[in-house]
Amino acid sequence: MILNLLTNLSYYIPEIVSIVTMCALLFLEASYKASEKSRTMVFVASLIGLVVVLFSLISNMSLEPVSLFASAVVVDKFSTLTKILMTLGTLGVVYLSYKSKDIYTGLKSEFLIMAMGVLVGGMLLSSANNLLTVYLGIETLSILSYVMSSFKRHESSSTEAGMKYALYGGISAGIMLFGMSHIYGVLGTIQFSEMVPLLKELTGANLAVMLISFVLFFVGVGYKIACFPFHMWSPDVYQGSPLPVTTFFALVPKFAGLAVLVRISFVFFSNEGALQIGWIGLIQVVAALTMTVGNVTAIGQDSLKRLLAFSSIGHVGMMLLGVVAVSESTTRIILFYSIAYLFMTLVVFYVVSTISDKYGTDSHSVIKGLIYRHPLMAIVMSIALFSLAGLPPFSGFVAKFNMLSAVIESKYYALAFVAAINSVISLYYYMRIIKMMIVEQPETNEKIETFNFINQALITVYAIPVLFLGIFWEKIMLISDGAKIFIVP
Amino acid sequence: MSGLLNWILWLPVIGMIAILFVPKDKKDLIRTFGVVTTSITFLLTLVLYAKFNTSIGGMQPEFLIKVPWIEQFNIFYSLGVDGISLPMVVLTGLLFLICTVSSWSVDKQVKSYYVLLLMLQSSVFGVFFALDFFLFYVYWEVMLLPMFFLIGIWGGENREYAAIKFFLYTFFGSIIMLVGIIALYYATGKGVDSFNILALQGGHFTKEVVTLFGTEFSFEKLFFWAMFLGFAIKVPVFPFHTWLPHAHVQAPTAVSVILAGVLLKMGTYGFLRIAFPIFPMASVEYSTVIAVLGCISVLYGAFCAMAQSDVKKLVAYSSVSHMGFVMMGMAAMTVQGMNGAVLQMFNHGTSTAMMFLMIGVIYERSHHRWIVKPDGSKGYGGLYSHMPKYSIIFIIGMFASLGLPGLSGFISEALIFLGIFNRFTTITVFAVLGLLLGAAYLLWMFKRMFFGEASAEVKSYPDMSIREVGYMIPLCVAVIVFGIYPSPILNVMKASVAQLLDLLGKFS
Repeated sequence: MILNLLTNLSYYIPEIVSIVTMCALLFLEASYKASEKSRTMVFVASLIGLVVVLFSLISNMSLEPVSLFASAVVVDKFSTLTKILMTLGTLGVVYLSYKSKDIYTGLKSEFLIMAMGVLVGGMLLSSANNLLTVYLGIETLSILSYVMSSFKRHESSSTEAGMKYALYGGISAGIMLFGMSHIYGVLGTIQFSEMVPLLKELTGANLAVMLISFVLFFVGVGYKIACFPFHMWSPDVYQGSPLPVTTFFALVPKFAGLAVLVRISFVFFSNEGALQIGWIGLIQVVAALTMTVGNVTAIGQDSLKRLLAFSSIGHVGMMLLGVVAVSESTTRIILFYSIAYLFMTLVVFYVVSTISDKYGTDSHSVIKGLIYRHPLMAIVMSIALFSLAGLPPFSGFVAKFNMLSAVIESKYYALAFVAAINSVISLYYYMRIIKMMIVEQPETNEKIETFNFINQALITVYAIPVLFLGIFWEKIMLISDGAKIFIVP
Repeated sequence: MSGLLNWILWLPVIGMIAILFVPKDKKDLIRTFGVVTTSITFLLTLVLYAKFNTSIGGMQPEFLIKVPWIEQFNIFYSLGVDGISLPMVVLTGLLFLICTVSSWSVDKQVKSYYVLLLMLQSSVFGVFFALDFFLFYVYWEVMLLPMFFLIGIWGGENREYAAIKFFLYTFFGSIIMLVGIIALYYATGKGVDSFNILALQGGHFTKEVVTLFGTEFSFEKLFFWAMFLGFAIKVPVFPFHTWLPHAHVQAPTAVSVILAGVLLKMGTYGFLRIAFPIFPMASVEYSTVIAVLGCISVLYGAFCAMAQSDVKKLVAYSSVSHMGFVMMGMAAMTVQGMNGAVLQMFNHGTSTAMMFLMIGVIYERSHHRWIVKPDGSKGYGGLYSHMPKYSIIFIIGMFASLGLPGLSGFISEALIFLGIFNRFTTITVFAVLGLLLGAAYLLWMFKRMFFGEASAEVKSYPDMSIREVGYMIPLCVAVIVFGIYPSPILNVMKASVAQLLDLLGKFS
């Protein structure tokens, strides 16, 4: 037993390293007086920790899929790749938080500690293999998120965000738990692998109960990825939170939530039957509405953060399309979409953060005539926005193309047309930003000089995949294609 | 010679990269780079024309290029040229050369301007060369980016609205087309040829069925309309034309020229290369609809043109009218009609380019484009006596545009009417009115601008400079020569058009 546990632990190095890093950061932070030096130390330590996590994850990519800890978690390529994405996202956010003025200086180290915690929660979620682990993962992810969203505690918008997030989160977690208890009540087990054969034999009333309980279960996950109708918290939280936190929320919890959604769809709903019809029907409607609501509402937004919140709701709708098509290609396209989305989001938030740090507001007007004030930033941002809108030759287009392919392959033509029209709507508001940056004249001619060499290098590095994956996407596609979900026999 | 298409396609990109390394304030050097690049490109298109084998109907085997791009999805970088695309390619080469010369007077952000212009040229070539559907789509969309900025930055007062409207409208059409492209990919079973435009041709989808909202639709018909939407917006056919007047009026001169001269042709080219051959049954079945829409475009465009007091808007609406003729010629699906349509695509490219350039010339002097100013006074008047060079070239362009025998517009329109008369007689009768209206609004415009007493302001305008005359001459020559002797173009397209008609004939 102990030997077994020890061998299992060897698969679990990334998580262990994350936890160790988190504790180390906590000690570091606590044992020094708050000063610039100690902040830098915590920052560097977290970077080192994350890089180690990243490398151990990459080395895990070559492992055969296994289930660990009495089948509570699964380590397969799908979960490992999701974890890599989350770690990359965290890495991007770490530097952003270090330079950002939006987080109170005294809280910067705390942010890093909590980010590590959320990352651990996300990792747990993405490899969850029983209902309890899913719940644990979601709660680990959420509780720290609530704190992070109210980081600007002297501002009412931020406390409001934290409050809203917590209330919403509490209720949806409760509903989810309620659903889970029904599932357990009917099937008598919480293990995914034990549930699958039992599900096949369900009939009549039990089947109906099961369908409803999965809907309830979906509430918890849907809230985490902010899909319609559980998206209401997202704009307020995005706007109220400090920008690095917003960036973090746009990436890590979304990837984790999607990962668990994809896994559940694969494990439970890949067999034809009433359950699959119900589940796919649900996701179809949710996907269409999420996209439409997100994109249409984004049009009227003045605050860039709020606009990005709605745009990310639109993108979640797009990613849900991949779940609709429960087919071989699902994991591939969702992972590719996530990879593309990661880099586009990093670029956009990086620029928005820099600008709103300088002017103290994130209203549309501050971005006017950016091309005259900082050409690199404007060009890189335009590339990212065009890519978000899904225009070739950028990675967003390839992601969208594959998403549409999956939907059409499963012959949901109506959904494909909805997605197509949505991408026109999204182009409109992205283009308005681009127009402001490049076409309009700036209000001041003052150059932006706060953007030093490291920052410039960083956004360029983030922008390269946006461009590169739009043209030479075969390699990454093959890697995501190999990242299959392991269904424990 | 097999790399010729690659050279034509990528030379503008090379020029673009070269310009990126030139310092911003060396404006003349940037302009020279632009002109040199487009001249070499134009020469290469002429080489392509010279090497073209007119007896082959399909893609010229000598120039085919096919390299795997994304093997996993059977996407290829595959280029080719045939008799339908060759006139467009040469036209693109010519018009971009003229535009880079005529844009010498642009003084705002010269570097970005030329970079975007060359990027546009490359993507336009890409559309005309692409034989892979994915590649085609990529170029089709990439073209929107430089256009958006060219209209948005260098345009007139209302440029932002125009740029966004143009972008959104076209994007809407093309994304619906994308759904069609993907549907075709799966309908052919994801095989090696699933994105191969040539292999998709031939009516393989007549029996496929699609279920949408619980109702069964014919695959062929549904996705014919999806493609139709994409191309019809680009042409633009009534009722999808509303973006065009805005885009034209706001765009800077050179961009208007490109837009009317080349970009609109991409729509009709799409019909000939994609919609018709891939969905021949639906095309034949709905040719009446296309002809009727074409006829409405002809008349509606002409009436709208007549009502304009902004001369550029007038020419913009005349484009709608003239592209309507192209649609009618294609819908006829006869030898004369189809040849006339392709010829009209070329001829409209040269004559409208002339008109837009001439308007650009006068705009640089007067800084307005009113035939009649909003306050009711004359915008110009008496140009004829004060700008003789300008007037002569303008007359050539105008008469070519209204279809005077002896100039290029006449031949193509006559061919179109010959081709369509037997098939859609009633429609033809109405469309002929369009010719009359065309003469009416152009001559009326001419009368108001060129005759009468010249105001002091008009007297102060200098006549055309050598540079301006210089870039107009090739177009004048083209308009006159192809008006008398159109065979150089007709010979090139004959075999390809015949092949297309063969295919369509099987389904009518």
